[in-house]
Order: sequence, then structure tokens, then C-alpha cells
Amino acid sequence: MKGWLERLRRTAESSSRRRRMEAEMAEEFDFHIERETEELIRSGMGAEEARRQAVLRFGGVERHREAGRDARRARWAEDLVRDLRFSGRTLARDPGFAAVAVVAIALGVGASTAIFSVVNQVILRPLPFAEPDRLVMIWEKNPEKGWERETAAPANFLDLREQVAAFQDVAAYEDFPIRSVLTGDGEPTVVGVASVTGNFFDVLGVPAALGRTFRWEETWSGGPSVALLSHATWRDRFGGDPAVLGKSVVLDGQPHEVVGVMPEGLDFPGGASELWVTAGWDAESRSAAWFRRAHWVRPVGRLHPEVSIEEANGQIAAVMAGLEERFPATNRLMGAGATPLQRFIVGDTRTALLVVLAAVGLLLLLACVNVGNLLLVRAMGRGREVALRGALGAGRLRLARQMVVEGAALAAAGGAVGLLLGWGAARILEAFQPPGLMAPGPITLDGRVLLFALTVTAASGILFGLIPALWSARAAPADALREGGRSGASRAARRATGTLVVLEVALALLLVAGAGLLVRSFERLQAVDPGFEAAGVAAMTVVAPGARYDSAEKRAAFFQELVRRVEALPGVRGAAAVAQLPLTSVSWTSDFTVDGWGERYGSSVAHRAVSGDYFGTMRVPVLGGRTFTGDERAEGPLVVVINETMARRFFPDEDPVGKRVVYDQQAGPESTWRTIIGVVGTERQAGRLAAEPMPEIYEPFPQEPRARMTLVARTAGDPGALLPALRGLLKEIEPTTAPHDLRVMTDVYDDASARERFFMGVLLAFAAIALALSLMGVYGVTAQAARQRTREIGVRVALGARTGDVLRLVAGQGAVLVLAGMALGLAALLVAGRATSALLYQTEPTDPLTLVAVSLILGGTGLAAALVPALRARRVEPTVALRAE
Amino acid sequence: MPEQRADLLQGTLDLLILKTVLLGPLHGWGISKRIQQLSGDVLQVNQGSLYPALYRLEERGLMSSEWGLSAEGRRARLYTLTRAGKRQLAAERAGWTLFTGAVARVLEAT
Repeated sequence: MKGWLERLRRTAESSSRRRRMEAEMAEEFDFHIERETEELIRSGMGAEEARRQAVLRFGGVERHREAGRDARRARWAEDLVRDLRFSGRTLARDPGFAAVAVVAIALGVGASTAIFSVVNQVILRPLPFAEPDRLVMIWEKNPEKGWERETAAPANFLDLREQVAAFQDVAAYEDFPIRSVLTGDGEPTVVGVASVTGNFFDVLGVPAALGRTFRWEETWSGGPSVALLSHATWRDRFGGDPAVLGKSVVLDGQPHEVVGVMPEGLDFPGGASELWVTAGWDAESRSAAWFRRAHWVRPVGRLHPEVSIEEANGQIAAVMAGLEERFPATNRLMGAGATPLQRFIVGDTRTALLVVLAAVGLLLLLACVNVGNLLLVRAMGRGREVALRGALGAGRLRLARQMVVEGAALAAAGGAVGLLLGWGAARILEAFQPPGLMAPGPITLDGRVLLFALTVTAASGILFGLIPALWSARAAPADALREGGRSGASRAARRATGTLVVLEVALALLLVAGAGLLVRSFERLQAVDPGFEAAGVAAMTVVAPGARYDSAEKRAAFFQELVRRVEALPGVRGAAAVAQLPLTSVSWTSDFTVDGWGERYGSSVAHRAVSGDYFGTMRVPVLGGRTFTGDERAEGPLVVVINETMARRFFPDEDPVGKRVVYDQQAGPESTWRTIIGVVGTERQAGRLAAEPMPEIYEPFPQEPRARMTLVARTAGDPGALLPALRGLLKEIEPTTAPHDLRVMTDVYDDASARERFFMGVLLAFAAIALALSLMGVYGVTAQAARQRTREIGVRVALGARTGDVLRLVAGQGAVLVLAGMALGLAALLVAGRATSALLYQTEPTDPLTLVAVSLILGGTGLAAALVPALRARRVEPTVALRAE
Repeated sequence: MPEQRADLLQGTLDLLILKTVLLGPLHGWGISKRIQQLSGDVLQVNQGSLYPALYRLEERGLMSSEWGLSAEGRRARLYTLTRAGKRQLAAERAGWTLFTGAVARVLEAT
């Protein structure tokens, strides 16, 4: 901004400087001539004659002036100002053209700025921690269980922390979303809580804004429970009062002492961390097998300075190999590795975003080619003017520069509008971002984004300014004048516009095909059977407050009462409770073996406790045997229901009903046996519809009691209307708590494909813009050609050509360009299409149906764009056409 | 007007101007006259090259100019050699001597 004003000031100054310079030059010349005259008079010449001689000797004043100006270097700036003024005038004379060009550039710059701002926020911006480059995420893997980048077992984490020398320290957080009810003054509210080890913030290098962070000892239970507040929670709930330190907050009935407030904006582990508590593990668990068998922590390590991640990975592998030897029961084939923290957080979003960035790059290129082509087409129309100016002595460079200046003026205007568009688009992207796609925090137009927008604008300005400039520098004036007399443009220029249109159509085809593939992929995703009927179901997640429901029996009674009361609500057709809603996440998995399998066992089977008529309420079909009656008791007999995936994978040729299972690799004398009583349809478990379903075991609630359950209620009417009633009911039964989550099942279902819908929306927007731009190109070139051939058409019509002939003549050329562009685009798609597979679900980048549909859309609209000027040309009156020009 | 006249070699005009101005502030006409006088009327400066050369030298910072009074008490633009101009003059003079010496040696060779 400042640079702009400065330039403006200097331009104004240079013009006043120029005026002064001219005056001084004149005075200097006058002085010279007078002195010369005096000298001649002194040598005896007559006054009149002396004056004449002096002027003669001095030579042409004008010529000297010009040479003087050149020497003064004022010329360049002066010409630039004149070029700018000229550009302004010509653009103002054709506001339609200027508007189209500015909009095209603005769309290109805007779209790319918006996408770049997301890339900047997700991939480029460093994490808000001290020396984030030294932070790594440690994960576990197990080929047998199909684990890759999985959570770690806490015992393994502790061993890695103590034995891997590459790390200065390793902390961990518990990787499941915790929401707790915060009670105290006023209504109980639900807050997002992160549970971490005591050294968590020391490893991240984030000090408390107020008070202190946790200490390592506080990782373990025994001491007083402590909590840290997020800045926002402190401000909104505690009025920003520093006296909050040392106060007690009650989370799910448990008092915690507030020891500190974290700095503003800190939200890690991601999601909605409003409070941090310590893991509070029992120190005795450390030697227990389950502490090494269950996986739920995410260790974050800080490397020693100058230590590479490869070195750390080598040491981790060695430690894990040692653990496998010592603990074969839990650590068989268990490996681990480390990834830079930022890389890990971004995950596979990175690939998807880079694909979108590439797509927006194509869009920008298309916009540039389009504007360049428009300028060139217009320059062809101005062929005579250009040639005339050339013949009158305007240098070639000067003429080319005129084009570049015009391009730059358009680019500046387009860039400014584009930046605004980009800002708006970034807000839209932010509003529609699927959960978990982006790192938390607002998308901002920071310096890097502004620099990007500026660079993109400048580069595009040069690119499309250069296109007509190159051509106009190449055309010899004589040719242009001769051709200009009749048909305007040189053959070279016409070939150039044709090539550009082919390029435009090819680029548009790539983008439309990209969007088409995503639509197709989304369609396939929507066809995925989630295994339940989402419509008509409301869901409320509730945690039984630990202080009041301290036994399995009390919790069972609480949820049974809740289900019973919900069932009695008017309009409710059925209700049940489940430990984890489908399409959200998997709560826990285990190995298992079956009576009679011997050494054989299965891995990674998911578990879920259900209560009441869950399968009936969710309309999960029963495929064999029976489901739970509701009379199951904790003491047995222990029964389970399995899903279809499990039945097919592990019991392909036999009936699983009646078989007995143990949740372990090998059964022992201590094993708890459970009997399979039925098989139900497979519900998709993971939070993404695209994820493969897992084999799963359902347990009746009394035999697998949990404190956190989700109530599901099916209603005949609008489930959204049921939500307030559910909330009210909970308050009535248990006033000290509040719903952790309350929503309709169709929202859960939509969230599971939100990511795909998001990328589809983005690419559809790109495709629409691309299609519009390329049509503009086809139309512009065909219309220009038709105008130039008006006379020829007139002659033909006069000689008896029919409408069809004229249409073929005019539209034919456009059609050839469109077809050539489509061929080029399809060829490019076959080569580059692979790149989109990161965004696709069960869809090949060469999906024939998509390719045909895209070709039809592009071909159809392209031909239509070529046909419009042809239809106009058809109405040419021979007499008018012949008189034209 | 003398019959014998020499055209100025490309680039020598700058050298001559710098040398002339070394002796004191001078206006354009004075510079052209002094070059003519000092060269014994052999060198005559074309006004068409004089002023552009003056402006060029000024733009390059080898001379500075300001409006002052000429010897006759008239308002005139007076050119002065700058420090950079002096350095340039020394360098060009050395180069010229080397050049003319070399040319002379070639021509006198038998």
C-alpha cells in the first residue's frame, strides 16, 4: 500500500520535474544563442546577421531538446505514464472487456489465495510450540493387527521415554475425546477435556500464562487432582479473574485444583481443549499386563538438539525389539516409529490439499490464458491501430510495452478484487470445513498469504500481458496494415488464439473431470450402507456422574431408567443405549480366539456394549440367532452378538451361533468365555464412511458396564424436535449432569462424509469457473473470426450459400478447437489423473462414465459457445457485409 | 574559421568536458568555446552533442550544475566537476594517454 502511494507521488513529481527541466533547457539554449550572437557582433558582424548565424550554428532546437530529454532519462517514466493513461482510456472505452478480464483474474487469484491460505494454515504455519521442528509423534504399528500409526500402550510409552536416548523427554496425551460435565456455579456445562502426562507442556515448551503447568509426578494418581484452564475458559467462565488459581473445579463430580491458565489460542491435542487434566494413572498399573495390552496414548517426544529423527527411529526400533522379547504376550510384532509432529497432525490431509492446490493452479493458469487470449483477440481487432502507430514511429518495444502495461493494469485491478474474493472464500471454507480436516485456529490472511497473492497477481499479469505483446512485436507493420485493411489479423495471431483456446478447453476439461470424479466418488460413498437407518433417530451422550454412580449396578440402573423414561416420551417408537455411536469411532478393540481353534486367533475386533433394544431401534437387521433380551445379568451367562463381517471372515463355512469366544490370543484357565447368541448386520464404526467396516462383538450392557453411554431414540416425527425433551428428561433424572452430546443421527451420518463433500464442493466450484472461462474463450475467438469474415460470408450468402453452410463455416472452426482441446485434456487426464486418487473413494481416475459425461458437458457447451456467433453471422445481409470495411 | 578540423572521437567529448570544467564552474557555451580555444580551433563541439553530453554527465554524477551568474553578470547554468568527476577524469586521462601512445607507436612503426 505504502509502495503504491510512494510510486504515485514519484510519478507526480517526475511530471513537475519534467516541466521544470524543459523550461531550464530552453533558458540554457537561449543563453547559448545570445552569447554566440554577441561574440559574432564583436567580431564585426551585423546584429541581424549575427543572430541568424548563431541560431544556424546551434542547429535544430527541437532535436537538441529531444536528445537532451533522452540524456535526462526522463523518457522512460514519461512514456510509462503515457502508456498508463492510454491503457486507462482504451480500457474505459471498452468497459465490458475490462470487466470480463478483471473478473477472470479475480476468480483465478481469489480461488488460489483462498486455497493457499488453507494450505498455509494446515501445512506451512509452524505449530505454536517452542522449536516445533524437534517435536515428533511416536506411534505403534503391528502388521498382524493391521495397525499403522496407532496409539501406544502406556507401558510401552513409559519404556520408550526412559530408554530412547535421542529424546530429551517424551510426554503423552490420552487419545480419546473426553467431555466432562463441569459443575459449580450455575448450570452444569459440558467442556472438552484433554488428559495428558505431567510433563506434557514442558515437552511442548509452552509455559502457563498464569500459575504453573503440570509436574511429572502429577501423571500418577495419589496426589490431589489438578487442572489447567484454557485462556477462553478462564475468560468466559471465570471472568478472567487471577484469583482462580488454587480454586476447585468439579469435573464429572470429581474436584480438581486449578493450578494454571494456558496462553490464548493453545488448543492441543486438537479439537476443543477447554481444560487439561493429568492422566492420573495408578503407579501399580505399570507392571500390569493390561497397561501394555491396551493402546490409547499418543506419545509426543522432543528430540535432543542436532539429533535426527532417523537416529531416534533406530533407537525406538531397538527398544521395541527388546520389549517384544520380554513381553511376547502383549508385544508380539509390535513396532513403533516417530514422525515430525506437524506432519503427523496434518496426516493424509496433506496429499488431498496439495491435489486441490494443483487444481487451483490449473484454474489460475486457465484464467491467465483466458485473459491473455482476450487481449490478443482484442489486439487483432486493433491490428490497424497498432500497425499505424508502428508506422508512425512507435518502437516495437514501446508497442509491446503498451500491451504489458495494459495487462498489468488489468492484473492490478483483478488482483485487488481477487484478494477480497479470496478472503471471502477463505471464510466460506472455514465455515464448511469438515471436522478434523484442518488444524484448529482461524484461517488468516497473514503476510505469507498476501505475498502469495501478490506474486500470483504479478506473475499472471506478466503472463497474460506477454501473450499479446509477443505477437504484436512479431507482426511486421506492413503485413498488419495490408491484412488489417481487410481481415484484421495476421495468420500467426489467429493461430495463436486458436492454440490458446485449445489450451483453455484442455485445462477446463481437466478441472471439470476432476470435479466429475469427485461427484462420482461421492455418489459411491452415499451408496455405502451404514448398516443402520439414521433418519428419525436422536442421540444423547450421557456420563453417569462417578460420585453418585460408583458401582456397575448403579450405572446399569441409571441407564435402564433413562431408556425406560425415553421410551415413554410421546412419539418415541423405541429407545436404547450404546457405548459408542456408529460412524463416530471405535471405542476399543482386542484379539480373540474361539473354543476349538487351538493356536489360532483373530485380531482387531471392535467391541461395543448395548442396552435395551438397540438393534431394533437402529434397525440393524438380525441375520441369525437372536439378540439380547434385556434380562442379561452381570454374573452370567455371558452372551455376545457378532456382526456379519466377523461371521463371514472368521466363520465362513459354519454357523457362529453357539460358539464360545475369549478376548485373548490364547485361552487359559482364567479366561472368561462368552457365547455367541446371534449375528446382526454390519454397522460402519469409524468416523468416515469411506473406512472399511471391522469385525465387531456386541456385549449386553450389564456384562460390560460403562459410565459413558449414548441414548438413541427413534421417533415417528422430527428427531430434532425430540432433543429438548431428551435434555429435559436427563435434568429431571440427574440434575448434576448435562448431555455431553446431543444431535440427530442424520448429522452424524453427514459428518462421516463431510470431508468428501467438502472437497467435492471445492472442485465443483473450480469446475464451474473453469467451464465459464473456457466458454468465454471459445466464444470470443469464434465471434472475432466471424466478424473478420463478415465480408466473406456476405459474398457467400450473395452467391447462394444456405444457412447451414454459414453455420458450418463459422462454428466449424470453433468446433475443431473445442475437439482438439478435449483430446488434449483427456490425454493429460490419463497421464495426471492418478494424482486425484487421494480424493477418490472406489473410483478410478479413468472412470469411463465420468469421462463420457464430462466430454459431453464440455463438448456440448463448447459447441454452443461457437454456435452463438455463427447464428449471428447467418443473419448477415450481403449488401451490408460487402460495404463493410 | 580554420580549414583544418577534426571530428571528435567517440567518447572523447566527455573527457574534454570534464577537463574543461576542472578549471572552474562554466556554462555550456563557455565549455564549447574553451574546448575550441584550447584545441587551437581544431576541435569544434557540435551543440547537438554538447548538451546531451552535459546532461548525461550530470545524471551520472560526474558534474553538478546550478544556476548562477556568468562572468558577464548574466543568469546562466554553471557546471562544476564533482569528486566522482575528478576521479573519472583521472582514470579517463590515463586511459587516453595509454591509447594515444599505443596508436602512435603502431603508426610510427617501420
